[in-house]
Amino acid sequence: MADVMAQSEADVAVIGGGPAGLHAALVLARGGLSVVLLDESDTLGGQYYKRRAEQLTAAFGDFRPRGTELIRQVRDSGVDCRTGTLVWGAEDGGRTLFTSDVRTGALGRVSTRATLAATGAYERSLPFPGWTLPGVVTPGFALHLATMDRVPVGQRVVLAGTGPFLLPVACALLEVGARIEALVELNHPYRPGFSSIGGALRQPARLAEAARYLLTLARHGVRVEQGSRVLAAHGDTQVTAVDIAQEDGSVKQLETDALCVGFGFRPSTELPRLLGCATEPDPSGTEQLPIVDADGATSVDGLYVAGDCAGIAGVHAAGVRGQLAAHAILRRLSPERPTVRLSGLRRRARALDRFAELADRLYPLPTTADIPDETQVCRCEGVSAGEIRQAAATGWNDLHGTKAATRAGMGPCQGRECGHIVAALAGRNEGAAECFAARMPIRPLPMAATVEGQEVP
Amino acid sequence: MSTNSLPQTVTVTIDGTPGQAWAGQSVTAALVAAGIWPLRRNPVNGQLRGPFCGMGVCLECEVTINGRPGTRSCTAHVTDGMDIRTHTEPLPTAAHG
Repeated sequence: MADVMAQSEADVAVIGGGPAGLHAALVLARGGLSVVLLDESDTLGGQYYKRRAEQLTAAFGDFRPRGTELIRQVRDSGVDCRTGTLVWGAEDGGRTLFTSDVRTGALGRVSTRATLAATGAYERSLPFPGWTLPGVVTPGFALHLATMDRVPVGQRVVLAGTGPFLLPVACALLEVGARIEALVELNHPYRPGFSSIGGALRQPARLAEAARYLLTLARHGVRVEQGSRVLAAHGDTQVTAVDIAQEDGSVKQLETDALCVGFGFRPSTELPRLLGCATEPDPSGTEQLPIVDADGATSVDGLYVAGDCAGIAGVHAAGVRGQLAAHAILRRLSPERPTVRLSGLRRRARALDRFAELADRLYPLPTTADIPDETQVCRCEGVSAGEIRQAAATGWNDLHGTKAATRAGMGPCQGRECGHIVAALAGRNEGAAECFAARMPIRPLPMAATVEGQEVP
Repeated sequence: MSTNSLPQTVTVTIDGTPGQAWAGQSVTAALVAAGIWPLRRNPVNGQLRGPFCGMGVCLECEVTINGRPGTRSCTAHVTDGMDIRTHTEPLPTAAHG
């Protein structure tokens, strides 16, 4: 394997080309370091600054031009941008990274003096009966279709779950001509007085954004049903109806051809956890987050994290945290450089943290105790909540034993969809946020890559 | 940025049937636009599955593209003459008991 593995070196590797990684790479390269930026996707930008395909940009315009400009600056600064490159493993505190070319499967090894993980987040799903039916999707998928591809996810869409993210998704759907049957919000974040909540006033721009979305929804006659939740989805080969538990306790059924359900985001922490960095439960008590200082330094010397993988705080916080981590790495690797004043960045980071805390308070997660036994929790292996509860109650009384006994979390998504639920159903301690161990390969690899490193047919 | 007319359409073949899609669109978008939601069977319980996360995490949207099986349709982009095959036929036998 070693002789087919392409070797390369850089002062710093940045893993993830989203807002945190891009901002960090720019600061590092302008500071005179050699930087390699690795991203699994075939374009830079991450989820927020996702790139619309060239042909669609020509027709529909640039998507989030700030991202285009940021990516251009990063490329111009001399960063070695390796898109289509999956980081599937690491050792030596992150100073050695194992990669695979997404197209060919060709293996690579990158050696660095410091590494920044900016691996972002993915959506948090909570299972309910029928959630594996085709046509039941995440809000992020609906957003991607609407913004990147200009395709409505359905003609009669139900959006549900909790979180501020549901609002821009709803507006994007309206823009491509979908009809929104209902926006089903579990909590009560929107009410008179929302605009006067103290913490939010420190971020008037963010607040204005939410108000603008709500106004658009009202103009289109979209009902925002607060205190309501999805009970079950129905359909034969794809979703055709959804049961909604309403605030007054009654249940109503809506016809739909696309049901989008999401409960915020889960940080993608596999890489720092694989490298053994110290962790602590996140504010929701459902995830383990890397413990970091104000600059994103972890307990592992030379390993830094920034952006949503260090705790969900959104795009603006990711950019600021990425810059702060980059400055810390610069101080470490180029101590001779003159000191840079960072008080403005630090102030902004703290303000954005407060806004994230406010969002956590406004959109609490529901309890997993309500998940019916017959609900499939692990989509890949088809394991139900009842099977997991039973395994946990009959001696396999921790997360790892339950995984071994039921196969929950052992499928190709590696527990990214169900891990937090299996942990909540099987974990020994409520709120202790156990999680599946991170192991190499941390993302699925083509078999040919692991066997020979040869080109995948 | 000013916008022009609609993007260039190309021909793709979905399960043997030719159709039109925009060049550069994600393959999942072409499938959804064509009204095709079930893409595969879960290998354990045989249930129909379709695209779910749209960002390469869940692997529910795998199809065969130009003869390459197990390709995530959410991260693949439409090109002219692309051959897309879904796998919704019932499983021969259940993989697990």
